[in-house]
Amino acid sequence: MTESAATILIVEDDAAIRRLVAEVLLVEGFGVEAAEDAPGMDAILARTRPDLLILDLMLPGEDGLSICRRLYAHERFPILILSAKSDEIDRVVGLETGADDYLVKPFGPRELVARVRAMLRRGPRTQTPVVRRFSVGSLLVDLDARQIVDEHNASVTLTSAEFDLLACFIQRPRRVLTRDQIGKWTRGRMPDPLDRSIDMIVSRLRRKLDAASPGANLITTVRNGGYLLTVHVTPAP
Amino acid sequence: MRLTAAVRIGLVIVLSVTIAWIGTVALFYLSTAGGTRNTRPLPGQIAALVTLLEESSPELRPWVLRAVTSQTLTARLEPGLHIGVTPRLQRVPRLTARALNQYLAAVGGRPNSVTVSREHGGQGGLGFSFATPVDLELRVGLATGETLVVDALSYPVINIFGLPVGFAAGLTGAVIGLIALLALQREAAVNRLQVRLSHLVRARIALLGGISHDVRTFLTRLRLRVERIPDEEERERAIADIADMLHLLDDALLASRAGAGELAEELVDFAQVVRAEIEDRGAAGRRVDLRVAGATAGGWQEASAAQIAATRQSGVAITLPRDRVPVSASPPPNTTVLGDRLALRRVIANLVDNALTYGNAAHLSIDADSESVSLIVDDEGPGIPADQREAILEPFVRLEDSRNRRTGGAGLGLAVARSLVEAHGGTISIADAPSGGARVTVKLPLFVAR
Repeated sequence: MTESAATILIVEDDAAIRRLVAEVLLVEGFGVEAAEDAPGMDAILARTRPDLLILDLMLPGEDGLSICRRLYAHERFPILILSAKSDEIDRVVGLETGADDYLVKPFGPRELVARVRAMLRRGPRTQTPVVRRFSVGSLLVDLDARQIVDEHNASVTLTSAEFDLLACFIQRPRRVLTRDQIGKWTRGRMPDPLDRSIDMIVSRLRRKLDAASPGANLITTVRNGGYLLTVHVTPAP
Repeated sequence: MRLTAAVRIGLVIVLSVTIAWIGTVALFYLSTAGGTRNTRPLPGQIAALVTLLEESSPELRPWVLRAVTSQTLTARLEPGLHIGVTPRLQRVPRLTARALNQYLAAVGGRPNSVTVSREHGGQGGLGFSFATPVDLELRVGLATGETLVVDALSYPVINIFGLPVGFAAGLTGAVIGLIALLALQREAAVNRLQVRLSHLVRARIALLGGISHDVRTFLTRLRLRVERIPDEEERERAIADIADMLHLLDDALLASRAGAGELAEELVDFAQVVRAEIEDRGAAGRRVDLRVAGATAGGWQEASAAQIAATRQSGVAITLPRDRVPVSASPPPNTTVLGDRLALRRVIANLVDNALTYGNAAHLSIDADSESVSLIVDDEGPGIPADQREAILEPFVRLEDSRNRRTGGAGLGLAVARSLVEAHGGTISIADAPSGGARVTVKLPLFVAR
């Protein structure tokens, strides 16, 4: 595959931006396909395989994040995310989505072309099975097998609710999570203001983690009723 | 439980009725029962009983005793004299004994004692109580050589103040309940106000966010179209204008989020954020350098001075921050703060841009102690007069009177920096740099795990 012959698929709901980006890429000698939303993209993917996907994050219907997650499982072309929100970026390229690079709007055409060329040079993504194993302090957590082992390779036993909570913290490390956010992510609903069950699960989890890695103080309380995983989470082999 | 209007009104009614009832009962007792407020044996009654017993024949005495026995009074005779000692400190026995003595004096006086009855569980203490009745035991030595023992039971009808037992407790409780209800009502009103305010603020932030997103879409189109301007100088200016607009928009959005307490909270390595921000500037060929406390200061200053000299000669110099953060023997200080990464980057960016625009260079240093981390930004410009240092932190205030945008923005940079720093619980201050320029110091509290 030579660079100039590469086909690039643009998924962007703003017609003007879609056209302008397409023109920039055409001038550079790329082949261009364009869609305005997820169904349009699926229609194009049904008949052709692009070498790279440029994906806007905020789309009507199925949004960019969800498309990204869906494609990551069985597609190998690299994905370049376009976003108007710079504060979402670290989550996008973060743990779960599988995007390869991003550009914050507004961007210049030269910047866009440079990113695209660099990604094409790296070639299709080598399909690595998504392993969700993380080092958390001295602990090793496998989110799929739902297992935790400490530094002596001894297993740490958590209840299902405690593990869900830990997974919630691991996916958002070093971030203050309020009781409402935790409730929304672990149970899909906001907890009642007087419901202390999340606090109780947190305190049980803290006790177990403290026992597994004494002195690490992995989860702490923050002044206005939030909780925080204090250590860095790194993917483990 | 939410305190709905119906619940509140219900509580008010119940409380009002309770208070009205207690008040009526109190009035009743105080007015009608006032004369006979004491159910204790009257001292005159005891004195009469003594006389009667002494005068009647031994066969009649049991009948006399039977005649005076009632629910609140039992009398019996014991052979021999068993007179106790009236405690001087207990008020009720003392007063009763005094009255009794007066009556007994009329018949020649008898040895007597009044004590708090132990048999009936009467309490010790001072014999002075609102809440509990006092049972008394009266002993009088008769002329016949026997002892008259009278147990006076005080049934818990009214206390010595003539009010029903527990009246004070009930009244106090009702008053406390009323006060609590008023406080609750007040708080509910304040809560409603807060909820409404926070809805308003959120709506405004959502609106700003929506506008920001749409403006970014327009700016993206514009940015792509600008590329077609043939004149290179014009094109560069247009691109710079777009960047300025974006900057202003981000500032406004961040400042409004900070004002509403909606900033993200995460653990951020402040020194690392500073480094990243400086690398962006350094890569663009601006004069920026950084010193981190704990590094060898002398080495840095030497290199920096040489660098500055070189800069003056050549006009342009790049001071890469990574080279200026020397590898040192002491470990780098902990600069972890709890805050919003974007907001902190914006603070640093605004200060560095100001220093570069008005002071030609930005010399940054980071210093941390056990509680806070400080970022000091020095420049080489004319400095800021002492009387304008407060004012310059306000929005739309600039040092130059004209608000032309040739040298800078709308005068929001420092104001935004201040609101963001204060939202992080930090402070920002302006002073003179040792080199003669302005010195801006940002101090942020370090994160302490609990």
